[in-house]
Amino acid sequence: MKGLYLSIASFMCSASLCAQLDSIQYLNEIVLVDSKLEEFSEGYTLTKISDTLVSRNPVSLSDLLNFNSNIYIKENGYGMVASPSFRGTNASQTAVIWNGIPINSNLTGQTDFNTIATASLTNVIIRSGGGSSQYGSGAVGGSIHLNNTIEFTENSSNELTIYYGSYASVGAIFKRKIATEKKYLDMAFDFISSDNDYEYVGLNRKNNNGEFNKLNISMNGGLRLNNSSLIWNSNYFSGSRNLSGTITTLNKDSYKDETFRNLLTWNSTSKKWNNTIKGAHIFEKYQYYPNRENVLYFEGKSNTIIGDYQLEYNINEKIMVSSILNLTHIKAEGSNIGDESRNTLAAIFIWKQLVSDQLSYNINIRQEFFNDFENPLIVSVDTKYKINQWYSLKANASKNYRVPTFNDLYWNSGGNVDLKPEISYQGAISNEFYFKNFFLNVNLFYINSKNLISWQPDMNGIFSPINVSETENIGLEMGVNFSKSIQENMFNIGIDYAYTSAKNIETGKQLIYVPYHKVTGTIDYRIQRFNAYYQQLFNGKVFTTTDNSTYLDSYLVSNIGLDYFFLYKTMPIKIGFKINNILNKYYENVAYRPMPNRNILTTITFKF
Amino acid sequence: MKTLKNLIYLLIVFLFITSCSSDDETVPAPLGDYVNGILITNEGPFQNGTGTITYVSNDYTTIEQQVFNQVNSADLGSIVQSIGFNDEVAYLVVNNSNKIEVVNRYSFESIVSITDGLMNPRYFISSGTNGYVTNWGDPFDNTDDYIAVIDLLSQTITSTIPVAFGPEKLILINNVLYVAHQGGYGQNNILSVIDTSNNTLASTIEVGDVPNSMVVLDNNLWVLCGGNPDYTGNETNGKLLKIDVSDNSVIQVFDFLTSDHPKHLSADGSHLIYNLNGVVYSKDEADISLPQESIISGTFYAMTTKDGKLYATDAGDFASNGTLKIVDLSTNSEIQSIQTGIIPGGVYFND
Repeated sequence: MKGLYLSIASFMCSASLCAQLDSIQYLNEIVLVDSKLEEFSEGYTLTKISDTLVSRNPVSLSDLLNFNSNIYIKENGYGMVASPSFRGTNASQTAVIWNGIPINSNLTGQTDFNTIATASLTNVIIRSGGGSSQYGSGAVGGSIHLNNTIEFTENSSNELTIYYGSYASVGAIFKRKIATEKKYLDMAFDFISSDNDYEYVGLNRKNNNGEFNKLNISMNGGLRLNNSSLIWNSNYFSGSRNLSGTITTLNKDSYKDETFRNLLTWNSTSKKWNNTIKGAHIFEKYQYYPNRENVLYFEGKSNTIIGDYQLEYNINEKIMVSSILNLTHIKAEGSNIGDESRNTLAAIFIWKQLVSDQLSYNINIRQEFFNDFENPLIVSVDTKYKINQWYSLKANASKNYRVPTFNDLYWNSGGNVDLKPEISYQGAISNEFYFKNFFLNVNLFYINSKNLISWQPDMNGIFSPINVSETENIGLEMGVNFSKSIQENMFNIGIDYAYTSAKNIETGKQLIYVPYHKVTGTIDYRIQRFNAYYQQLFNGKVFTTTDNSTYLDSYLVSNIGLDYFFLYKTMPIKIGFKINNILNKYYENVAYRPMPNRNILTTITFKF
Repeated sequence: MKTLKNLIYLLIVFLFITSCSSDDETVPAPLGDYVNGILITNEGPFQNGTGTITYVSNDYTTIEQQVFNQVNSADLGSIVQSIGFNDEVAYLVVNNSNKIEVVNRYSFESIVSITDGLMNPRYFISSGTNGYVTNWGDPFDNTDDYIAVIDLLSQTITSTIPVAFGPEKLILINNVLYVAHQGGYGQNNILSVIDTSNNTLASTIEVGDVPNSMVVLDNNLWVLCGGNPDYTGNETNGKLLKIDVSDNSVIQVFDFLTSDHPKHLSADGSHLIYNLNGVVYSKDEADISLPQESIISGTFYAMTTKDGKLYATDAGDFASNGTLKIVDLSTNSEIQSIQTGIIPGGVYFND
């Protein structure tokens, strides 16, 4: 029996599925490449999504966040282009950060959540609230952090997962890890293909032109020297999709994405000093085929080179200062934007003080240089006050920005080189309560955004982006997590609720595709070899037109799943069975683009 | 702790509340005849939705949205481009759904849906027992554009007439069909002339760049060309041309400034009306130069005239309901402003 528990434990790293991070002390052996995420963000709500949840939603980041966060995901049909609305902000105002490096597209300003493979990641952390001072453009509503950690502990493991589901969905994930106290290497290979021809519930029609396949290869390595370490992160993604039609159209177009990211980090530490030098290269490319049967396509690509130097100095035990110089060079070209480049130098200064055991605060200042448009000065302050053992109060205030994308500036026709960055001012207060088995947090936030970029027709009917609207978002977020173990029974329930009012100040209307209410919940029950769970998503109604004259109905979707663990000789094996949309509900999160009917996903995982 | 318990209770209640789906707020109006009124085609949102038809009675007292949907309990389709008529039958051309919904023009009851043989259909006109529909084909292929010929008795496409790229608006004069090649996503500069007695291409007429609208006045064909826009890298001026339809010769050309790109030509009495640079101009057909003074201001998405009134639509931000403005051309003052559907792209008269 002991072996069995070990085998289960090898699949379940944490009891809590969606933990709020609170001063987690990492062991010396574990290196988080993006160390500043937790070091300088005490006044922000950080939510860590465990690898257990990641493994239950292996297809994409969209699925994962849809069921496990307050973020509204706009998906143009399952597996298609998916963009987020975080705290009611627009799709370009959620930054996606890979090991500390921003990876939103230079062309669109967004990350398509269906082009992010999650299986290779150690964890996904959601940082709520503005983070432009540290992460730059786009970290307005919040940021999604994709992390790979490096562990210098003697270890060698292999894991193979094969999954098969409805609509001829087939996938495989292979992960290999070898590490000593000095060296670390992991590799992950992740492939999925799906016909994605689900039925539109009640319409007697199937999703047309929705086939997709994705390949992701990731490698992470590390070397530990005396007082320094050298870490390398690398990720390649290639995706090919036909683009689903809508209820009123049959489509023939298709889309190909390719990204390749490399990051080298050298860190050296002494008693008072901490130096980090980073070099990164990010390549992104898309190809759009208006008719997949023809050879004609439109493409865009960009190369980004980042050099980053961070110096931390501990003035004393209570005060730490950090300064960062970051040079980013972007070169983009495409069928519709010509050949353009941009250089940005950012200087960041951070002051961190532990006033007492209970109270700490951070001040961040960022100034950019060289941009063709106005270079904003960005400031943020955040603080955490641990009032007692079970109650902490956090607060933050920040100015944030989003720069115009290469498409906004140079698109032919319509691109506008006179655009200014979008600017937002925000504040949030969060209350966190910890009890024995129970965690509760309640956040209130306010965001005021100006100069929002919107594409509107000019006098000749040509669409062109202008800095036009101003919005005001006010919201409340609540999360509870309760876990209890009685002998062999382990029980966990997590519920998140968000209320978001996001208004265009001029019209007073709620922004499109921002639900007033979103609720997600997971119930998890584990006994002996079995782990059963229930996931639920409720999205309130969302408006689809700016005058709020049309809207999508609210919906509630539920998934259930069962995992079974056993040993074959000494090999731990997990078999998983999941039914998505068990109530066979018709729902859309973008108008006229229905989401899948009831469907099944089976997985088997071997560890060796 | 009591409050805490209440909070959790509330959260749990929220979680397990089943979705209260609310029905559409639109109350179906009594389905009367759609006679003696104005029909507006609303393209609908480009990426994801359906276009609609708005009906406005001639006395403006009855306004009904989503007429096709109300009568037939079905969506019309994506990008409702235009309407053409033949006696009591209306042909609703739905561009992105590649179909034509054929309905009774007064009851709006569906007769049939034509789907075979259409690819990016744009405009419809009828002549005798035939209907003619301009088609872009694949919009990125400049060699597959055509006119589909519909047999109006069987409501099926019986033949096609290949034409140059970007066929758009159609006009019929003495059984001769003039097709303006606006140029699809690109630009073109010709009219095709089609003999409807044998459905063949008789000739082409070179006009200015981007012929976007045509009107007949005193047996002359007036063609308004927008000129190539700035972003093409080859900007050309707009032109207004007068064509003698007896021999299809261009007998008069009015040149606009290079940066001027007029559109929406229509006629009111002896006046030619068009939209340019945020204002509307009116030119007497006999005037020897273009007018300098505008009559009203506005940039319109569609514009036409009838019986001394101007009907002009504003699509707003293209993501909300638009408006139809009605202007009395004797006083140049607005007499009505009526809400339409999303992106109102055409105004038709159903008398």
